[in-house]
Parts: sequence; structure tokens; C-alpha cells
Amino acid sequence: MAEIILPGSKIAMQLKSNGTYIENSSTYANVVGLFDDEKKQFIPLEGLWYPKENDNVIGKIETRRSGVYVVDLDSPYKGIIMSKFEHTRFEDGDIVEATVREFREFDDAMSVVLTRPKKLYGGILLKVKPPKVPRIIGRGSTMINQITEATKSSILVGMNGTIWLKGGDINLASEAIKRIEAEAHISGLTDKIKLMLEEKRKKE
Amino acid sequence: MEKPQLIKDGKRLDGRDFDELRPIRITAGVIKNATGSAYLEWGNNKVLAAVYGPKEVFPKHFADPEKAIVKCRYAMAPFSSLEEHGRAGPNRRATEISKVTREVFENVIMLEQFPSTEIDIFIEILQSDGGTRAAGITAASVALANSGIPIRDMPYAVAAGKIGDQLVIDVNKIEDNYSDADVPVAISPNLGRILLLQMDGNLTKDEFSRLLGMVEKAGTKVMAAQRQAIMEMYKQ
Repeated sequence: MAEIILPGSKIAMQLKSNGTYIENSSTYANVVGLFDDEKKQFIPLEGLWYPKENDNVIGKIETRRSGVYVVDLDSPYKGIIMSKFEHTRFEDGDIVEATVREFREFDDAMSVVLTRPKKLYGGILLKVKPPKVPRIIGRGSTMINQITEATKSSILVGMNGTIWLKGGDINLASEAIKRIEAEAHISGLTDKIKLMLEEKRKKE
Repeated sequence: MEKPQLIKDGKRLDGRDFDELRPIRITAGVIKNATGSAYLEWGNNKVLAAVYGPKEVFPKHFADPEKAIVKCRYAMAPFSSLEEHGRAGPNRRATEISKVTREVFENVIMLEQFPSTEIDIFIEILQSDGGTRAAGITAASVALANSGIPIRDMPYAVAAGKIGDQLVIDVNKIEDNYSDADVPVAISPNLGRILLLQMDGNLTKDEFSRLLGMVEKAGTKVMAAQRQAIMEMYKQ
């Protein structure tokens, strides 16, 4: 049985995972999360995005300055695209999908260096909490495929919690995503979302 | 002004026992734009707390390359109180409370994980009835848990005091104004540390240690309210 753990509470076993810290050889949670003592894992329910190599992210071009594009990733750190390595030219306000190459100091500030940027045309952006992203994608992308199939929208999910939607039934797709975000802690969610999508389609 | 009689027949003016808290109710996640937020009602106190960040430091020269910096703003709404006590705008009192609140949270947030960033904590007192700094810290603590910013512990705060010879917990405004001692305490329960301790008035050494015991006992109820607020967000 999974139990909700508050930050600062001791976890019954030694565990090294996201959202925990170890002090005096005991493990404590540092964010709100679920502890599952059968699977022996701690799943953070709240949290921020920590840039990791090869994370796919979605952001907005903020400005262009001396050889780099600055990308707003809705995170503590700015994204940086080196314009000399890229053929595409971007304008302020463009939406881009890119991959994290490294996380390092750039111009006196910690920055996320991005590579392989792709310009995204049109569509809308949706924000979700970063720890819910794995749930939106689902095991082996089952959840996201299910939504794409039902709504015929193109959906791209950034690990930083930004989701890009275009075409198809955008309203239904964003409704489904918002519901997954709100109910991420409940088990059997894939079936629930399936039911919801089917019902909505029948009405039309 | 003459001091009113604050204790009648072994009860306080509002009918509470000496170690009884006013009812507390907290709701988390009330402000969608914020990283984390909470709304608290503690007796007649109404407090809104919001947390933003970590984000780019502004102005830039305040940035610390080793860790994040915390900025805290405690403010009373112009309509929060009937008397001059809750006057709006930055003043000596609000500046002081902002500082001590900031120091409470600097001790629990894992600042070293976010170098060169800032975390903003806003506490707005919408209605005040004594013990608002304690209420503010308790609310901001839930807002931080709601934000997902890593914290070592969820602190809580309680305002204790002394009326005549009697030690009391959770003083309201009238008791606060005429009490013989007024002691707001913020505690980090799991770390077992006192993060805020202020004292206005006089207490003997013995009274002080008894008062701390009462604060810790009352604290379990405040923690339960904090826990309840988080749990409600994850109802099955």
C-alpha cells in the first residue's frame, strides 16, 4: 500500500532516489511523495525539473544575443542554443523543441545548453508539473499514444513540463492531460482516461 | 488604557483553555500562477502565502554562485485590522517579520541545489487577530511543500504568551496587546530545531521551559492541519 509522505518525514528504509535526502544514515523525503513499501520506491508528487542530458524539452525563444539564442524553459535556468552550430534561424517568441546537451555555467549563470533545435509552427503550449510528465507519457508511451489516437492531435511532451499541442481535438487532449496531472497519484489511470476519451467521442 | 480582565473563571476571553489553539484550516494550491501556495484560516487570522521560483536573481549582483537566495515579503493588507497595527505599506514591523521569516526558511530549503537563483516567499495577511507571524510561517510552509522545492522539513509556528501568572498558547490580538509576555516560536519538528524565537516581556527560566513544552504539544495540532491540507490535494 502506498502512503503519502510529507517533506521532512522519515522513510522506513534506506533509499536513494529523487526527492529524498540522507542524514545520519536515515532517509527523509524532501518533497511530497508516495512511498510504496512493496515496490520499495519513492515517487515524488511535487517537484521541479532538474536538467539531465538527452532530456527533450520545449521552450520559447526569449532573445538573441552575441551568438546564442536564449530559451525560456519555465525552469530556474535559461536554455541556450549556440546559433553558429545551427542552420535554422529563430525569431523571438518562436516555440522550439530541443535536446539537452549539457548543464553548465554560461555567461556567469548556470544554463542548459541545447542541441538539435526544431522550430514548431502554430499550436498551443500547456504547462504541467514536471513530476507528472512520466505519467502523461505512460509506460511505453501507452498513455500519450492513446490520447493522440483518440483526438488526432500532434502532441509533444517536454520533460520540463511544457506540452505542445496542434491540430485535432485540442480541447479534449488538453482536458485529458490536465486530468492526468490532477490524478497522477491514482492507480489504473490509463483505463480511466480511455473511458473518458471514448465517452466524449460518442457524444459527438 | 486600563488593562482588561483577560481571564475569567479559569477560561480566556474567547472561552478557550490556556493551552487550547484556535481552529486552524489550511488549503493548499489556491494560486495557480505560483509554484506553490496556501490559504490559512487560524481563528480570525486569514493568511495567503505564495512561493515563486527558483528563478533568475534580480538584481543580478545579489546572486550567490554557491546557493539560492531567499526573499521574503510579509505584508498586512490595508483592511486587515481595525486599528493602526495593521497599517499597509512597508514599515518597521513588516520589515522585521519579513527578515525573521526569511531566516526560518533559509534553514529548511535545500538552497545548495539551486546555485545563482532566488526563491520568493510572499505572505499576505488578509485579516489579523494576533499571532500573524506564526500563521504566516505555518502557511508558507505548506506553500513550500506544495511547490515541490526540496525542503528538509516543514516548519510550523505558534505564538505563546503569559497573562498574569498564567502561561497560554496562541494569543489573540487583545491578549497580545495586554499580555505580560509574548513568545512566537517556529519549530522544525523532524530536525528538532527551533528556527524562530522572539520574546517580548519577561519569563522566568522555569516558565520558559514549561512554555516550550506547551508549544510543542500544540504543535502536533498545527502539523496535523498542515498534513490535512496536503492530503486533500491527493484525495483518491
